[in-house]
Amino acid sequence: MARKATTSRRLVMTFVAYTFALILFFPILWMVITSFKSEADAIALPPKFLFFHWTLANYIDVQARNNYWRFAFNSVALSFGSTVLGLIVGIPAAYAFAFAPTKNTKQILLWMLSTKMMPAVGVLVPIYLLLLQFHLLDTFTGLILILFLSNLPIMIWMLYTYFKEIPHEILEASRMDGASRWKEIVYVLSPMAVPGIASTVLLNIILSWNETFWSLNVTNIHAAPLTAFIASYSSPEGLFWAKLSAASTLAVAPIVLLGWFSQRQLVRGLTFGAVK
Amino acid sequence: MMKIWLRRNFSALMALSPALLIVLVVYVGCTIWSVRISLTDSHILPSDHYVGLHNYVRLLNTDRWNTSVGNLVFFGFMFIIASLVTGTLMAILMDQRIKGEALFRTIYLYPLAMSFIVTGLIWEWILQPTLGIQKMMRNFGFAHFHFDWINHSSTVLYTVALAAVWQGSGLVMAIMLAGLRGVDDEIWKAARIEGISPVRTYISIVLPMLGGAIATVTVLLALTVVRLFDLIIAMTGGGPGDSSEVPAKFIYDYLFDHQDIGLATAASTLMLGFVLVFIGPWQIWQWRRDVRGAGR
Repeated sequence: MARKATTSRRLVMTFVAYTFALILFFPILWMVITSFKSEADAIALPPKFLFFHWTLANYIDVQARNNYWRFAFNSVALSFGSTVLGLIVGIPAAYAFAFAPTKNTKQILLWMLSTKMMPAVGVLVPIYLLLLQFHLLDTFTGLILILFLSNLPIMIWMLYTYFKEIPHEILEASRMDGASRWKEIVYVLSPMAVPGIASTVLLNIILSWNETFWSLNVTNIHAAPLTAFIASYSSPEGLFWAKLSAASTLAVAPIVLLGWFSQRQLVRGLTFGAVK
Repeated sequence: MMKIWLRRNFSALMALSPALLIVLVVYVGCTIWSVRISLTDSHILPSDHYVGLHNYVRLLNTDRWNTSVGNLVFFGFMFIIASLVTGTLMAILMDQRIKGEALFRTIYLYPLAMSFIVTGLIWEWILQPTLGIQKMMRNFGFAHFHFDWINHSSTVLYTVALAAVWQGSGLVMAIMLAGLRGVDDEIWKAARIEGISPVRTYISIVLPMLGGAIATVTVLLALTVVRLFDLIIAMTGGGPGDSSEVPAKFIYDYLFDHQDIGLATAASTLMLGFVLVFIGPWQIWQWRRDVRGAGR
């Protein structure tokens, strides 16, 4: 823990911290700034940091070329759809795990979580064949189902860890007062569970938004989300710096803004609860 | 007995069953199906004709597969070690209670919110000689500055690892910092009284205490390695040649381009097996720890 550092050591530490921060943040910052430059300014010498003619031309071009808004709409629809589905199945399950535990609960949970650790590519062929069979390739239903399935274990796990923090005594008290199981859930449990559910929703939206493997594999045009949009830019020949920056800024902007508010949830989820 | 138990837990069971059924049927079911296909002579469509381990033999004689696995192992070691070192350094830095810690933490964790496909794209531009660092340095007047690792088969994996470390080290920092903060102050006091330097204390006393955290981080990083796909698609497309080819992309290509699902499923079965070897011990260890924790 805190050691009493000398002033000079503290200065060095702060300097190193700034250096790390700069290295980590620079690519994102530079991408955003470049996206507002004209192509000439983007390759100007010496590089112009802030004093150039700010323009939205690149964004207009990207929209005209690829119809950004449709991909963005798809991303929103897919991540919200899969999240709602996940909540419907996940909340009751997490509730049962947290409030009616048996001696196997922990094992079942760990097993569920371990399925999330398996590489998606292991089940690619069967899932692809199933979607083909049911004509769900490149449809919202198909991809929503997949996103829901791939994130369900982590959702249940997250909800469980939050639900477990709700003191049992409160539920017992309400039961003593004659509340039915249903009333107990609606009036007592739900209000206390809202923060945990909100965190889980945030995490799940980010995970679904960033999902690329399945999006590339099972969508083509109709239901393709932003990750597929950005993947279509992956060979830079014939394209220009500023336009590329605009395209990727557009793709990450929503999630980068959301990420600012939800870092704790993200870390909690991505470390499978190792860090709260 | 059973009846009473059922009555008491009926609603819990009802609440649980959809989720359990889904996970069981979809995950386990699909895995078994995948393994089954790998034992048949399926090509474009699945077939019922079993051919034993034929696909596996074919797979192991496919150069591209062997290269993919080799690449993944090489990348994996580099990525895991580099992320561990950078992430731990960042965590130690954060442990010094410098000013503006919250801001630094936010920035360090920032790349985590990005998807690998965007990370890959940004780094591709930075590393492309005609767009990024090389061009910038040459514009500055260093006419002979040379940095085109991404275009050479012997160095391309380093560039992929660089991008992956950029994104992944924040996660290492978060876990290691949580561990460091949990270290008893008494240990630091004792070390100070003994006159042991802080660097020494970290290396010889504190970090060895964080074995659990390091194990968790390593498992999480290893899982990222096995999944490696988006980054390759965005940065190199597996090239130049097959020098950055990885198993996940191999399977993807054999499913869609070569329409050889027998080979694709054989490859994915091997991947699953590999992951099980990893997760199994970790899970047993986690479970044991929990049981012990409950006993205390």
